[in-house]
Amino acid sequence: MDEEPERTKRWEGGYERTWEVLKEDESGSLKATVEEILFQSKRKRVTESHGQVRLGMMRHLHLVVDCSRSMEDQDLKPNRLTASLKLIETFVEEYFDQNPISQLGIITTKNKRAEKLTDLAGNPKKHIVALKKAVDTVCLGEPSLYNSLHLAIQTLKHMPGHTSREILVILSSLTTCDPANICELIKTLKSLKVRVSVIGLSAEVRVCTVLTRETGGSYHVILDESHFKELLMLHVKPPPASSSSECSLIRMGFPQHIIASLTDQEANAAISTSGADLSLGGYFCPQCHAKYTELPVECKVCGLTLVSAPHLARSFHHLFPLQAFTESPTEQLQKDRFCQACQGELKDKSIFSCPSCCSVFCVECDLFIHDSLHCCPCCIHNQTASY
Amino acid sequence: MLNIEGLLVHFPYDYIYPEQYSYMLELKRTLDAKGHGVLEMPSGTGKTISLLSLIVAYQKVFPLEVSKLIYCSRTVPEIEKVVEELRKLMEYYSKQTGESNNFLALALSSRKNLCIHPELMHANIVVYSYHYLLDPKIADLVSKELTKKSVVVFDEAHNIDNVCIDSMSVNISRRTLDRCQTNVETLQNTIQKIKETDATKLKMEYRRLVEGLKEANVARETDVYLSNPVLPDEILQEAVPGTIRTAEHFVGFLKRFLEYLKSRLRVHHVVQESTPQFLKDIFDKVCIDRKPLRFCAERLRSLLRTLEIADIADFSAVTLISNFATLVSTYSQGFTIIIEPFEDRTPTIANPVLHFSCMDPSIAIKPVFQRFQSVIITSGTLSPLDIYPRILDFRPVTMASFTMTLARTCLCPLIVGRGNDQVALSSKFETREDFAVIRNYGSLLQEMSAIVPDGIVAFFTSYMYMENIVAAWYEQGILENIQRNKLIFIETPDAAETSMALEKYQEACENGRGAILLSVARGKVSEGIDFVHHFGRAVIMFGVPYVYTQSRILKARLEYLRDQFQIRENDFLTFDAMRHAAQCVGRVIRGKTDYGLMIFADKRYARADKRGKLPRWIQEHISDGSLNLTVDEAVQLSKHFLRQMAQPFRQEDQLGLSLLTLEQLESEEMLKKISQIAHQT
Repeated sequence: MDEEPERTKRWEGGYERTWEVLKEDESGSLKATVEEILFQSKRKRVTESHGQVRLGMMRHLHLVVDCSRSMEDQDLKPNRLTASLKLIETFVEEYFDQNPISQLGIITTKNKRAEKLTDLAGNPKKHIVALKKAVDTVCLGEPSLYNSLHLAIQTLKHMPGHTSREILVILSSLTTCDPANICELIKTLKSLKVRVSVIGLSAEVRVCTVLTRETGGSYHVILDESHFKELLMLHVKPPPASSSSECSLIRMGFPQHIIASLTDQEANAAISTSGADLSLGGYFCPQCHAKYTELPVECKVCGLTLVSAPHLARSFHHLFPLQAFTESPTEQLQKDRFCQACQGELKDKSIFSCPSCCSVFCVECDLFIHDSLHCCPCCIHNQTASY
Repeated sequence: MLNIEGLLVHFPYDYIYPEQYSYMLELKRTLDAKGHGVLEMPSGTGKTISLLSLIVAYQKVFPLEVSKLIYCSRTVPEIEKVVEELRKLMEYYSKQTGESNNFLALALSSRKNLCIHPELMHANIVVYSYHYLLDPKIADLVSKELTKKSVVVFDEAHNIDNVCIDSMSVNISRRTLDRCQTNVETLQNTIQKIKETDATKLKMEYRRLVEGLKEANVARETDVYLSNPVLPDEILQEAVPGTIRTAEHFVGFLKRFLEYLKSRLRVHHVVQESTPQFLKDIFDKVCIDRKPLRFCAERLRSLLRTLEIADIADFSAVTLISNFATLVSTYSQGFTIIIEPFEDRTPTIANPVLHFSCMDPSIAIKPVFQRFQSVIITSGTLSPLDIYPRILDFRPVTMASFTMTLARTCLCPLIVGRGNDQVALSSKFETREDFAVIRNYGSLLQEMSAIVPDGIVAFFTSYMYMENIVAAWYEQGILENIQRNKLIFIETPDAAETSMALEKYQEACENGRGAILLSVARGKVSEGIDFVHHFGRAVIMFGVPYVYTQSRILKARLEYLRDQFQIRENDFLTFDAMRHAAQCVGRVIRGKTDYGLMIFADKRYARADKRGKLPRWIQEHISDGSLNLTVDEAVQLSKHFLRQMAQPFRQEDQLGLSLLTLEQLESEEMLKKISQIAHQT
């Protein structure tokens, strides 16, 4: 247990009965069960492959964050609000990393009202700045699910049909204060094909179950902080697109980054079209030559979606996810017991092998390959070797 | 198709709970032995369908052994549920066997749906309310001709003794006597009229009465009819006595009896006497003999029939009085007469009532046990099982309690014995007014309202106690704090008000506002309303719901129980309190996919004599660690529990553990496990 970092001081933690999880094995020792528990938690797979389904690549997601009185609860450290905002920050980064051509907006709700923290936009920086500021908000009153959803719909309903419309609610409170019947709103959401998912911070609330079931979203309740993170990261991956969503060709521009030096005669320092920063180089829209310092962005002048090639490539792996590795007990392995990736000795009970190249990996490498690399290093190694 | 010890049972679902199999096993053994049974199985585990499918299969295979199933339930919605299950079973039967259904089932719910087609007497299955079998006034009309080879099932029977007692007890107030007076006058006028127009009719009746009740006697001896406790055996052999044989004499007799009762109601202090004392007094004062009194009910019925009065309901008062006359003169034991000049709560308002109260539930149910070969008493909460045979005076062949097999522990019973300031929580009389206890109860509800989603149901021991506590909470500002989290609704003795509150409560649970329902143990909510899923995520039982022990009727009953059945007062009171507590907390778990907290807020629940009387399926989830929690500890445990329960739970998780396919059921290992579910006593 020593290598496990203590997240909180024990006396700050909740009232737990840790001894009830432990069971003695036949010889009366506890070691076996402790190892079992650790192994189980490692093996828990985040990746649940969708198989060959269409995924919505261009996403419009509204994040609703509960800022009501219940966010002051200290069961997440230091309190629910701070912990959530920190996790949301990483979520926002991850979201734009994996979905570069998508957009995100943040709504907060407290005191029976809903307010926009940031508008729907494709730039992670703005959101993160806003989130950092939001840490100091005072939590009070009840949230209003109705008002927040209503506010989100106002912008989402104008989004084109080939993109996905999503709302993700982080709900801490167990009650909502609504000005009208929420069932009607759920019907509207359904007809607008808005997918609403909820992450509950305390317990299962009936109205959320109905809301998510009707709109085709998911509903989860967190167990602790790491589980919270896991659940949040589930939403990084684009959801399967509904078969009824429109297909359309989208014009996209791939501007090159031009680094101009001061000596260059033609280069004039110009203000970026989107921001206030003055710079020499930048990305120029291939259609109208408006200048931007960052990608992806929608051209303010001609409306062209500007992305870079790597962005598109990164969205690509969702469509062809890496197959899950097969799990088998270590004893069956005939060859040397070393992980192909980290070259460490295979000590755990189970090993994982790639179905196409049959290379063997340990649990940690398996997770790393599926979460971050998205391709099997041995397969690629073999491919390049054969050329 | 299941094989239950050689009997092939059609079961209309793809999956079966292990306890259902075990239940059917015990049921079959009871039917084989042609005896009575007491079976306890938690609600929501498919008791009804297990009962129906086994007994129907038994009827099909052994039509000569069991020819009829009489299924008694408590309320109309429950009866409807049974009919629904039965319909499913019948559809499955005709699909499986391919032949059209020759089974006839009959459900009697209320008078407006009543059908009196004679063929219905031959129905294979009859579903109706308890009263049709237990209440002598109704049983005589409806259930008289049911065959001996019937199986009688009393579902939700944890209160059967009270139903029996109520059906035999009579309360007479001044209003009753006034209405009776008008009844008698109408009778007199009608007799006068008939005498002028059709005197032969009355003569015919007279002749019939001289011959006595031979007909009924023959019927009873040949075992055609269910015997009626209001019609004692002896009077069948005798003729109606001469003093009340003519119609005018009978009306005169009734008037005299009425006057006597009126004089008895003019009291200034409480009178309690036994039936022989009462009879002696009536003989001394108005010279009414015991014999004519005994024939009173039968004589009145004959008269009403002769006069061809269609609307019997108008004559309920006089029927009540005549039933009272018959009962009081027939039973020298098991009844007591208490005359109270006013109610306990309003000692200034004169409202005299004569309580003729039955203390022995076995009197009403005796004919049922005697007549039918198998009587099954079943409910979700029947613990401790052995007390029912004692108070109902019968000998069961099987007594079993079944546990609920669970893939996840979906119920979480917690006993909160202390407040955060270590003040002992209890509703006992000495600390009832204690400020600290009330405050701690308030903080328990307040903290729970913050962490439990959707609906919370809180039960108090009585209306009075609830009023006091809620008033105190209001003054301390606790109510205001609670209302920030959830809306509050209150049950009142008024039925319309309560159903309104219930409706709004459910709406608030549905739309995410969240609500708390404050109600009373033994009230309407605690007995008949289910709080499935989000309608009840937690139930809090404030105090131990002892019955109001100062009531004279109760005191008389306790005395009787001690003298006749050797049941100590305290044992009975605790049993009665615990069965009501179990009923209250059992409202939240209505199935295996449901989940809920059960909070017992009284330190007395931790004692073995209380805890041991809870049903086994609740008891086995009370760990030693949750016996005497503080409010804070309970909150932490509840939070953890609610998060665990909110994790996705699919049917696959249950399969093989608490839900079985046919193959899984037939495995050797599973059968061994199943044999441990039933807990014989």
